[in-house]
Amino acid sequence: MQTQRGLWLFLVPSGLVISLVLLYPLGYAIYLSFFNYYLGGQPPTFIGFGNYVALFGDERFWGSIGKTVLIVAGAVSLEFVLGLAVAFGLYKLTFGVKPLNLLMFLPHIVTPVVAALFLRWIFTGRWGLLDAIIMSFNIFPPDWLGTPGWARFTVIVADAWQFTPFMILVLYAGLNTVDNSQIESAQMDGAGNWTILTRIMLPAIKPLILFVLAIRIMDAFRFFDQIYVLTAGGPGTATETLTMYTYALAFRLLEIGKASALGVLTLLLSALTIGLVIAVLYRRDKGAF
Amino acid sequence: MRPSRTTQMVLFLALCAFTVVNLTPIIWAFMTSIKQPVDAFSVPPKLIFTPTFEFHYQVWVEKEFWRFLINSAVIAISTVCISVPIGTMAAFALSRMRGGGSRGILFGLLAMRMFPHILLAIPFFVLAQWLSLIDTYPMMIMALVAINQPFTIWMMRSFFMDVPLELDEAARIDGCNLWQVFYQVALPVVRPGLWITSLFSLLLAYNEFLFALVLTGPNTKTLPVAIAEYGAEDLNYWSLSAAAAIGIMLPIVLFMMALQRHLVRGLAFGAVKG
Amino acid sequence: MPGFDLDRRRALGVLGAAAATTALVGGTARAQAPVQMISHRFPALEFYAEKMRGAVEGVEVNTQLMPFDKANELATIGLSSKADTLDIVYANDTTVHKYAKNGWLMPLDDLWAKFSDEFDLADFPERALAPYRYEGKLYCVPHNVNVMLFFYRRDLFEEAGKQPPATMAEYVELAKEFHTPMRAGTIKCLKPIDATMNEAHWYFNTIGDGWFDQDWRPVFNSENGVKAIEALKEVTGYAQRGYATAANDECTLALQQDLAAMGLQWASRTAAMDDPTKSRVVDLIDWAAAPGGHTRTATDGYAISAFTRQDPELLFRILATSSSAANMREGAAMLVPPRDSVLRDPELAKQFRQYPGILAALETAVPTPPLPEFYEAGEFITRRILQAVAGEMEVKAALDAAAAETTQLLESRGYYR
Repeated sequence: MQTQRGLWLFLVPSGLVISLVLLYPLGYAIYLSFFNYYLGGQPPTFIGFGNYVALFGDERFWGSIGKTVLIVAGAVSLEFVLGLAVAFGLYKLTFGVKPLNLLMFLPHIVTPVVAALFLRWIFTGRWGLLDAIIMSFNIFPPDWLGTPGWARFTVIVADAWQFTPFMILVLYAGLNTVDNSQIESAQMDGAGNWTILTRIMLPAIKPLILFVLAIRIMDAFRFFDQIYVLTAGGPGTATETLTMYTYALAFRLLEIGKASALGVLTLLLSALTIGLVIAVLYRRDKGAF
Repeated sequence: MRPSRTTQMVLFLALCAFTVVNLTPIIWAFMTSIKQPVDAFSVPPKLIFTPTFEFHYQVWVEKEFWRFLINSAVIAISTVCISVPIGTMAAFALSRMRGGGSRGILFGLLAMRMFPHILLAIPFFVLAQWLSLIDTYPMMIMALVAINQPFTIWMMRSFFMDVPLELDEAARIDGCNLWQVFYQVALPVVRPGLWITSLFSLLLAYNEFLFALVLTGPNTKTLPVAIAEYGAEDLNYWSLSAAAAIGIMLPIVLFMMALQRHLVRGLAFGAVKG
Repeated sequence: MPGFDLDRRRALGVLGAAAATTALVGGTARAQAPVQMISHRFPALEFYAEKMRGAVEGVEVNTQLMPFDKANELATIGLSSKADTLDIVYANDTTVHKYAKNGWLMPLDDLWAKFSDEFDLADFPERALAPYRYEGKLYCVPHNVNVMLFFYRRDLFEEAGKQPPATMAEYVELAKEFHTPMRAGTIKCLKPIDATMNEAHWYFNTIGDGWFDQDWRPVFNSENGVKAIEALKEVTGYAQRGYATAANDECTLALQQDLAAMGLQWASRTAAMDDPTKSRVVDLIDWAAAPGGHTRTATDGYAISAFTRQDPELLFRILATSSSAANMREGAAMLVPPRDSVLRDPELAKQFRQYPGILAALETAVPTPPLPEFYEAGEFITRRILQAVAGEMEVKAALDAAAAETTQLLESRGYYR
């Protein structure tokens, strides 16, 4: 028991920094979500759950939830499937893994503010690289950023471009930890790659899968820069996500109270999603997590 | 049952193709940075042109971006040096704790990561203003350390989870105190994991934009902020952004190349288990 | 670090006269904290930032220029928390009223009167100052007048035997006629918020009944307003690809790369059309007042923060020095001078071929409504207009929704009582 108490001391430095620097702003933001607070004017007035009630009656709120869930689900699953495929490919590859690994990781280190601009130069109509390549075959491609369906697709691809490398790196690491003897014995039994991957390797790295999915889901819910630069929520409102709405409330309308309430709801929604992922991943063995 | 040579070649080429597609935006941006705007955005795109390093020169020399690189480096390295050690300690504790307390803390940490950052910007500014720490290194570093903690702790905890408890117990029997168990027994085992965690922490601190925009000023401005100042409006700004954005990647690439052995070992050790 | 400086100065004093002088000079430079200025960035403003840095000898001015939205965010965060981190703040005709209403800016009337002779401030016509007045008080020193004018390809128009359009109907007709798969009939920039508001401003003022009535009740959803946005929607059919997310930069690019035949764009962009490093249509673009007139005129200027700890006279001196007639003349290629003596100078019109068009556009151009909440209302209006253009809503329903949201916003801010 003495050991257990001693462990708390290890939390002190980190806890101190977090509570000094992060807890106040976070707490203050949550506190403000119960106030009518217009940044330009009078001091905040307490309105209880008024902001939340207003949001629940707001068609824009529900619309942006739908679009957010769609974009998050699309982006994270694309990243996971692609990341896993590439990681497994790397795992199987017997040569050239190191340089490939490094090169593949590069999109992840591009500064996010500019990453979106890089992609804009690819996807913009006419003078964008993608258009130019397709047009050289005399095909007129769709407007990647200007038609609702394609704009959502492009935004998902943009997120995947930056974060699939993260998935690859972590999943590749995970695959390498899987016990070789298990794989070999399965191969003896004549199991193919697919069986080995889904029956042996994936179950073995389940905690890791949860880790990457959770991290990505959280971040994708806050996904902002790329949408802001690529589509600015458009065309129409096709890519208007929760964070875009939060931004509009906080910085354009200066309604800090309502924006904070939306932030809290975003937090709850992503917690819920992660809870759902845990429930699905661990549906057979509940106690394990 | 070794895979055949043809399968290996096909696999290799497929992965190469993927890599090339992935790198296209970066290569294209680099080409943009060495073209005059009239050529950079022409239709159809120009593949043959006279390269100019004018924009790279302007960015790094005339506009003195090397100053911001120093700021970025100071802030990012300090952040890693503080964040990773204290996060590692906390992670060790959380990996050894029994009972619901640790799980509560872990989920609390995640919640901090889930809250939209744009809403933290204003309270952060007010706090920094109140402490008279606007435009100073300590404020920015502390903010980044705090933001970094959830990720660092979660990641390091997963490494510690893989260190068998028997190892701890054996050390305890040998008379080690808790600190010695952590420092002399557990830490050496997870060292490869430290590199990976450091890399991700470094990336986060180095590329952070929003808080840097709000908390830094003329004395401490970081590279992402400096780049973002050349948003759009004039086409020259795009070329400048491209040049700066390519330049800002180099230190990280060099860092990764220098550490690749450690990173691969860290990865192979892997075990990023939750 | 004051203790450290004092000790150092004392120690240096002992070391002899030369060293002491150095220390003293260093001392005064330190005593004067640098002036902090924040601004939007485009070439004309970069030019003025440079002029501010050298405006008053011995005074360091830290100029931080960034895209409009970021500068606005940063100014909002700083000013709303009453921080003294900003001294000089960029404001245009849409932001100045909001900042002034919130009490974030210092009225400049007294300083203006005091320095009027020294800087020949009477040279600024009331037209240039009016957008900067809120409840009768002046808040900005004008540096640039911007106006949206009609850019068109002279060569294409000549080839087709066409004149620049005089009415909206002609413009729509021409857009249709010039439209080809590789070259759009016209540019349209509909990125939220500014770009859309600028386009809408033109349509509402030309076809519609403007934005608001005298009591700030929306009239943009009137029958004519609906026609205006329907016309806008029709024209997007002949616009360059990517118009829905294009801001000024991409519209400029479309013209420069021969991807569009004409369209509305800012006067500050005219010079870039003739820059061979950026444009392949050098000398092929001409300018005129927009069909129907009534495009937006904007003003770029600088205000003094209400929370500054610097000497307001010093700050005013920096602003007034930088917006001198000589500077305006020097930067005339990239800006439109607010000072009458420069703007009306016939020499200028001879030297820069865009000036006749600019002067013509200024005749009929109108600023945005002097409503402090205009930018905020713009958030709703833009969104609805874009929904209409994208086909998510009928134009009338969209504008009615925008009007209802605007009314609600203004009610919550104490209007109509």
